[in-house]
Amino acid sequence: MLVGLADLFWTVLAKGVASFHFSMLTTVTHGIAGGLQNAILGTFELILLSTAIAAPLGILGGVYVSEFAHTKSAAAVRFLTEVLSGVPSIVIGYFGYLTMVLSFGWGFSALAGGMALAIIMLPYILRTTEVSLEQVPRSQREGAWALGMTRFQAVSRVVWRPAAGGIATGVLTAIAIGMGETAPLLYTAGWSSLNPTWQLTGHQVGYLTYVIWTYIDQPYPEAHALAYSAALLLLGIILIIHLVVRFLVHQSTGSARRHSLASYVRWIRSHASGVSASSAKRASATSTYRIRTR
Amino acid sequence: MGKSIAVENLRAWYGDQLTLKGIDMELEANRATAIIGPSGCGKSTFIRCLNRLHETVPHSRVEGEIRLGDEDLYRMDPVDVRRVVGMVFQKANPFPMMSIFDNVALALRLNGIRRKRELFERVEKSLRMAALWDEVKDRLRDPATALSGGQQQRLCIARALAMEPDVLLMDEPTSALDPGSTLRVEELIEALKSSYTIVIVTHNMQQAARVADRTAFFLNGELIEYGDTATLFTKPADPRTEAYVTGRFG
Repeated sequence: MLVGLADLFWTVLAKGVASFHFSMLTTVTHGIAGGLQNAILGTFELILLSTAIAAPLGILGGVYVSEFAHTKSAAAVRFLTEVLSGVPSIVIGYFGYLTMVLSFGWGFSALAGGMALAIIMLPYILRTTEVSLEQVPRSQREGAWALGMTRFQAVSRVVWRPAAGGIATGVLTAIAIGMGETAPLLYTAGWSSLNPTWQLTGHQVGYLTYVIWTYIDQPYPEAHALAYSAALLLLGIILIIHLVVRFLVHQSTGSARRHSLASYVRWIRSHASGVSASSAKRASATSTYRIRTR
Repeated sequence: MGKSIAVENLRAWYGDQLTLKGIDMELEANRATAIIGPSGCGKSTFIRCLNRLHETVPHSRVEGEIRLGDEDLYRMDPVDVRRVVGMVFQKANPFPMMSIFDNVALALRLNGIRRKRELFERVEKSLRMAALWDEVKDRLRDPATALSGGQQQRLCIARALAMEPDVLLMDEPTSALDPGSTLRVEELIEALKSSYTIVIVTHNMQQAARVADRTAFFLNGELIEYGDTATLFTKPADPRTEAYVTGRFG
């Protein structure tokens, strides 16, 4: 597995560095060549939207499950979260296609793509929030309650503080996962070689993983250059996010907490990459079929 | 000023396990009452019923009546109960990500005290009552975790006193402290008991003898004997009390 990882890393790094030009950051894609500005801005827009949807919902959900829910409803939400995190991302993409793109009439759009990504990110944010809050000792809650604080005051004034690093870690990890997703976006965001219009519906939007996913199959070296450059960019951004996550996890006080949180983050990563790798394969099969039949 | 507490037929469960088997007890106002007994006798559960913290544990249950002054504790909002019945825990639990000042000021702010001057005065008063002021007055903005264990426990006492409660519950407040810190907390109880009703759970019988006016002996969820501290330790009426205070078990 390590050899495979090293091979993948080396291929992306070598070919990416060889084909990358800084001008790619400022030009849009033309046919099979050109730059990546449209994809970079599109990825940025999609992540911004999905985080704006998934982070508040996930954090509130995690707080609810950890602090307010009676044991049964907490178990139900927890179970649904696990189911949701196990749904292959291509299924979420197709679900988004049927509902948002077709039924709601949004078309291939930033909003549909952002929502599909948000559905992928939500369970991770919810679970990390819940786990981080549960690692705050009960004595902290009792201390707050004993001073006459309501449950809401105890969470909003006291309990969240030691958990903040863990919650931020969860959001960042979810962002890294969302950035690497292709399958849910193929059916919802579409593709555009123009820069995003920042209109939420009715306009297709480009993104980096699409470039990798489509252009690597083209028989032209210019297309390969774009694909490897996009892969290099994504790898770099995700690496930076994970470095920030490591830093945050390290910052969190208490070594026991640090260990369990770190191991949970590792679990999420392995889980997520497993899911997206397998669904990417399925995505490749389905969408090639779709493109050819069209 | 302190208020008296009247407990009638108090029964408490954890799941199916009956931890308190019908306690009847009168706790006098402005006195210190010690609760002694071996581990698992229900003494912590008992005082956690007095500020309704017991019911926050999943699957727990309480029956019976507790009157605080002339109010029925179990008909009040638990949040209101805990504002007039303060508690100090076995292990000091200051809020670690907050300054010394904010640890004491937080609950005051939530009760609508916003003016800086008034807030500062209340915090200073509480820290003075907890005999901590002189040690922390120059570093109120330091994190609470920078304090020693004994200081942290006195900070928790100050935090509880800031709410100006009628009753102060203490659940083995010195069991994690060194003898010096223990002495300071005991002196504190001595000073506070003229104006608060204090209920202190302790494993340490010498401590009960030193600080409490009255002492109650619990065994297996029952109140075995309750009386003046001196009487209970020197002329216990029940042979089980005698066996416990003379160190034959527990």
